[in-house]
Amino acid sequence: MDIDTDLKRDVAELINWETTLLDRREWDDWIDLFAEDAVYWVPSWADEERTVSDPETQLNLMYFRNRGGIEDRVFRIESRDSYASLPLDRTVHIVSNILVAGVADDEISATANCLVHSFGKHGGQTRASLYDFKFRKTEAGLKIVLKKITLIDDKLEGPVDIYHL
Amino acid sequence: MDGSFQKNGLEALVDDRVDEGVFRVDRSVYTDQEIFEAEIERIFEKGWVYLCHESQVPEANCYFATDIGRHPVVVVRQKDDSLSGFINVCSHRGALLTPKKQGKAATLTCRFHGWSYSCDGRCVRIKNEKEGFGEDGFDRSQYDLNPIAKLANYRGFVFGCLVDDVEPIEEYLGAAATWIDLMVEQSPEGLEIVPGSSTYVIRGNWKMQLENSVDGYHVSTVHRVFASTVRNREERESLKGLKQTEGGRLVGIVPSGAYDLGNGHMSIWAQHTTPERRPIFKKKEWLEANLPEAHVEWILEKGRNLALFPNVMLMDNPSTQIRYVKPISADRAEVTVYCIAPVGEDAEARAARLRKFEDFYLTAGMATSDDMAALEDTMAGSFASQAQWSDFNRGIQTMTHGADEGAKAVGFDPVSSSESWENETLFFGFYRRWRDMMLDQD
Repeated sequence: MDIDTDLKRDVAELINWETTLLDRREWDDWIDLFAEDAVYWVPSWADEERTVSDPETQLNLMYFRNRGGIEDRVFRIESRDSYASLPLDRTVHIVSNILVAGVADDEISATANCLVHSFGKHGGQTRASLYDFKFRKTEAGLKIVLKKITLIDDKLEGPVDIYHL
Repeated sequence: MDGSFQKNGLEALVDDRVDEGVFRVDRSVYTDQEIFEAEIERIFEKGWVYLCHESQVPEANCYFATDIGRHPVVVVRQKDDSLSGFINVCSHRGALLTPKKQGKAATLTCRFHGWSYSCDGRCVRIKNEKEGFGEDGFDRSQYDLNPIAKLANYRGFVFGCLVDDVEPIEEYLGAAATWIDLMVEQSPEGLEIVPGSSTYVIRGNWKMQLENSVDGYHVSTVHRVFASTVRNREERESLKGLKQTEGGRLVGIVPSGAYDLGNGHMSIWAQHTTPERRPIFKKKEWLEANLPEAHVEWILEKGRNLALFPNVMLMDNPSTQIRYVKPISADRAEVTVYCIAPVGEDAEARAARLRKFEDFYLTAGMATSDDMAALEDTMAGSFASQAQWSDFNRGIQTMTHGADEGAKAVGFDPVSSSESWENETLFFGFYRRWRDMMLDQD
């Protein structure tokens, strides 16, 4: 399938921008990248080799059916009343392997890999994820309608919030 | 410690003078690695511990791998539907037998040298047996798996013990059995573990995890932000019914209570001001038609946390949880959480139960993460030997010896009852059991 290079560039730009906003704590701009009906999904592992496959009927690490879920997380972070979020861990996201997987009507799907190094009270640690995105073409440009994060680490040290993923 | 902790030292760690209004614990119980090693031997490898839920081994030949202290253990469903437990180790060289945490296999075959065991523990095949051990008279049964001394299934919750000399399971559970009953009797079709789980490492002592799960006192400080976050969400999105969160308990404005259930078990409850937001509320009519009134009231209107000594917690709040703790070292423990739910639950209630679980109970959630951070700070502070005592005195003047009215209504008999879940008198039983097992070195 031929995918136009402008689109590939726009997708890569958006994914890089998304994680950059997280690392720079530009929460409101980050939320704005998501459509209001965007799904944010971090499945849990059903066993050693497979994650859960149906977020509605199975246990997830995070599953937000609309953008309100990430708005809740930002509300909690910004309240400065969350024990786990004060002081906030520092993070750096390194995204690579960005591939546009398909285009159908106004929807574009893409995959990427991400390493997140975080540093907090108990020192530094690095976690890795597979990203699955869906984007929608809108008048305001591409908006995220799905961000699925498959966190390959399955024995978690310390709290995990949106900026760790 | 200097090694003198064996008897006098250990007794002094629990300052149990309730008559004088004092109950406190030396914080070296959290930090000292020598004490930790003794706990593994004298508590985890000498008494009952929780292993799994029976729904994790649903059919014959299904297995679930876990641990008792330092012993890898496997629970296996037999062809006659009974459960067996074995040390999960090949008789030959000690490799673990199960390739995965949970699975199904007609025989357990060691992947090192290929020895095989039937699900009842018999050694049924030794690779190249004749060449290695001769043609005649070789007795393979000497290599059968080691069964664990005791295995018991209390209404679906499976417990094991490595020694024979232990009280019957009903006696061990005692008053806590009623708290399990209140969970089980909600569903005539039984309970099941929902697919998926989360394991996390706490940089703290295993006992702190049990304490945290029945510490009502922290809720209105640590979880105040959870309450304000979900309130903000509900206003923003105009949510109704099961999509709303029960908030009264989080801000400390509802009736509540705490029980020392004996044998180290502890529990707390808090009144739900809006029980219609709980998934189980959809079964109200069935509950009322089938259970005594007092049970229905406890099930629908009282959010409950139960800590069973020494390694599992059962929560029945807006969502329902099994939280298993595995001690790793004095300052580290591994915790695995599962959502447990009624079999055949309707889709809306199941989804609400899961979303409430994800909101609150995970290290990636908005409350357990804050609990962990508080716990890890408590661990860091516990190394200060010049500030040596943790106080558990709150409520010591007002506690009721024996059962209060609520306990009598459903027929369990606690050691003591307390009229607020902010009180700490329930921990007396936990640390008395701890002390008694640590001192009993036979």
